[in-house]
Amino acid sequence: MSTRLSTLTCCSTNWLPLLAVVLLNGCATTRIPEDALRLPESTLEVRAIQTRTFSAPSENAILAAAIATLQDMEYNIDRIEKPLGVITASKVTDADSASQKTGLFILDMLCVMAMSGGCDSMSKAKDEQHITITMVVLPSLARSDVFVTRITIQGVLYDKAARILLLERINDADTYQQIFDNLGKAIYIQVSEND
Amino acid sequence: MTRIIQILMLLCLALAGGCATTAPADVVGGGTQLAIRQIQTRQYDSLDKPMTMRAVIATLQDLGFTIDQANIDLGTITATRLHEYTMRMTVTVVGKGDARISVRANARIDENSVTDAATYQDFFVVLDKAMFLTRNNVD
Repeated sequence: MSTRLSTLTCCSTNWLPLLAVVLLNGCATTRIPEDALRLPESTLEVRAIQTRTFSAPSENAILAAAIATLQDMEYNIDRIEKPLGVITASKVTDADSASQKTGLFILDMLCVMAMSGGCDSMSKAKDEQHITITMVVLPSLARSDVFVTRITIQGVLYDKAARILLLERINDADTYQQIFDNLGKAIYIQVSEND
Repeated sequence: MTRIIQILMLLCLALAGGCATTAPADVVGGGTQLAIRQIQTRQYDSLDKPMTMRAVIATLQDLGFTIDQANIDLGTITATRLHEYTMRMTVTVVGKGDARISVRANARIDENSVTDAATYQDFFVVLDKAMFLTRNNVD
């Protein structure tokens, strides 16, 4: 025993590499993904989904319609930079359903009754979703009296313990189409009201 | 045996102390100012400031970012991308006189700063294409 202990002293050279590895591991940085800022192959397709052109009498009219559309969809406007046509808006929505909550509650109850540990299914349930949307509305470079509108949307899904469950870019074509339909109607209303 | 416990306690203290405090490098960043500026900056002479900013916004959107804020007076655009990890970028567009425009980008992924030149080079490759399209009046 005394022989074994003597090999485990702090000054033993056998310990140093191990200690170094453990210490280095503690503060290791995450590797930056190589393709972080490379265009994915789907760029053109995604751009087509996210972009539409609209005719409007003025930049003010289409910006007002865009803001109204975001309000219609229950977003709060965070920031607007008019000269660049950038509108940023966000909202927090409830991401769980009553049936999911009931199911997980029953699961936790069964877990407690079985006296097994780690009964926290409820905390892993979806709780809320933070959605951010950017609308960029600019006069077309190619055609006069036409405005190019591009929308990008992303969301963060949190569980009950405020842990991030999912980070996602929303690329669903139907969602964008619905927003553009709403914007088209809003422009029509905006123009009609000012006539 | 006591000796081993002492060593383990020392090791735990070393580990706990290693990353627990806000180190000066966390506040002021690592690397040298000039080297970082060089890899993060490109100069252009093809478009004016508003059009360059338009190209930057298009680039960021192409790369999957949403724009958090943009300010034409100061030439800043901050954007976030949520996909597997959180990437945040700030791009500044500054006029340098003689119709030259300087574009500087800095990026962070989660809690790490992006410091490798290749990643910034990728960004400027995409921006070059957007600048070309904007210059040729393509939406």
